Amino acid sequence: MARTLGLGGDRRRNSLPWLLLAPTVLFVGAMTILPLGYSVVTSFQEFPLGQAPAFVGLQNYRNLINDANFLSSLETTLVFTIAATGLEFVLGLGLALLLKQEFPFQGIIRSSLIIPMAIAPVVVGIIWRLLYNADVGLFSFAAQALTGRSVSVLSSATMALPALILVDVWEWTPFMFLLLLAGIQSLPQEPFEAARVDGASAWNIFLHLTMPMLRPVIVVALLIRALDAFTVFDQVFVLTQGGPGTATEVATLMVYKTAFRFSQFGYAASMAVALLVLVMFFSAAITRAFRASV
Amino acid sequence: MPRLTSTTRRRLWLGVRVILIVLALIITLLPVYWMVNTSLKTQVEVFTSPPTLWPENPTLSNYINLFVRRHLGAYLLNSVVIVGSAVALSLIIGSLAAYSLARFGKARLQEKVNFWVLAPRMIPPVALVVPMFLILQQLGLINKKLGLILVYTAFNLPFVALMMRSFFQEIPVDLEEAAMVDGASRLRSIREIVLPLASPGLVATSIFSLIVTFNEFFFALILTSTPAAATLPVGTAALIGKTQTLYGEMAAAGVVAAVPLVIFALLVQRHLVRGLTMGAVK
Repeated sequence: MARTLGLGGDRRRNSLPWLLLAPTVLFVGAMTILPLGYSVVTSFQEFPLGQAPAFVGLQNYRNLINDANFLSSLETTLVFTIAATGLEFVLGLGLALLLKQEFPFQGIIRSSLIIPMAIAPVVVGIIWRLLYNADVGLFSFAAQALTGRSVSVLSSATMALPALILVDVWEWTPFMFLLLLAGIQSLPQEPFEAARVDGASAWNIFLHLTMPMLRPVIVVALLIRALDAFTVFDQVFVLTQGGPGTATEVATLMVYKTAFRFSQFGYAASMAVALLVLVMFFSAAITRAFRASV
Repeated sequence: MPRLTSTTRRRLWLGVRVILIVLALIITLLPVYWMVNTSLKTQVEVFTSPPTLWPENPTLSNYINLFVRRHLGAYLLNSVVIVGSAVALSLIIGSLAAYSLARFGKARLQEKVNFWVLAPRMIPPVALVVPMFLILQQLGLINKKLGLILVYTAFNLPFVALMMRSFFQEIPVDLEEAAMVDGASRLRSIREIVLPLASPGLVATSIFSLIVTFNEFFFALILTSTPAAATLPVGTAALIGKTQTLYGEMAAAGVVAAVPLVIFALLVQRHLVRGLTMGAVK
């Protein structure tokens, strides 16, 4: 923690720190805390487009827990989040271990590997549409050459979700790789040298030294990725719009459709609030679980 | 299997590493290459089977069509105006807060303020989208650039404040104190000592905000719709519906939206980790 600046007279009467903070706090408050409150209020209302909202108490939430579509979208989202985050972690860690030592062309390789995450998710959607597409896709061509059948990955009820997970893994494994690499490279060297002198195997060093020391970075990386994956929207919107049927209808997409296609703002708000509570619950749980298991 | 000597084992491991790294590079770059490749093909060549690995008659007609017939220029301009304004606003406002957090905070109070600056960033966008739409509708700011500028500024602020704080903290307090002991006002010491030293941080932070804001789709989709205000990602997504099987144009739009951002990201590589974790990992 940095030392604070001591000059400037009596600090209790010095209002400069607050003056500097005020615009940010006010702006962020007005644009996030206020709408959040509005969201909660709206979630207790029936609010069709163009009509006055009517207070309906807990009705929206009661409908929500009995809404098979909402529950199935939650399940889809959860499968997506766990599969994508898990795969990205394993692959990212593998890449980080592969590239942690000096290597010819290391800079260029590293730069190339992080390209996917700089590309807008919408464009990532386009890239994979070009690959998955049944008439022109490179993927489909390869699959057809191998199996002799024409496959349309995105319109298959069983393959669409794994296909979307693969897209997410492609885009965000670089993120895990980059974070874990930075984490590994910033670890102190002494414990590793001592372990090597003691004749510990590479596997044991990894399991009992690298992993525990890397824990804070792992928690941050998993948390950020899981939160983003849980509210995935862009690629799903571009690639499948939730289809076929509701096979890839993730939660955010369902909120979007409920509010902006079916104009049920009250019901959409209650979904959004439920998602917010879930997100907060899960991030608290993840953080605690990792802190506890030291 | 005979016991391998340590040199053979090392060579074997090196070989495995090289193969795995090359594989990772191919998987990462091939999809991107395929988009560029498709964008340079004629409509006929796009549909040839087997697909051609590079365009036989490379053409820019897809790009030209996008700008002449599909308003891509307008979307691009909207993005530049909206992203530029939002990044500039959040950088000015957020740096003030960052300086305050870095220099004046007493440890406990600072943790609290940290939380309140950071907490909004943890709120998933979906929780805000319905009320944001309703509020901006009442203000008449739907499908207006100003609406999106305000939203993006608010989203960028917590990020800018935390990221700039971590850069300000790296500038030794002693330098500032020395200047002030020598009679410089705080404003002057900020202008002549802190800002120049923090300028790499300012550049990195603004490029980061720029990447995130430029690529944002969810709010842009809901708050803007026509070439009067819609951003490049929204315009690109709309194109998918309109062009149907014009895969060449779709690919070209993707290239236009991706290239500048990839260049920016490579420029801030050194600060990428810090940016991605909002200063949590350096």
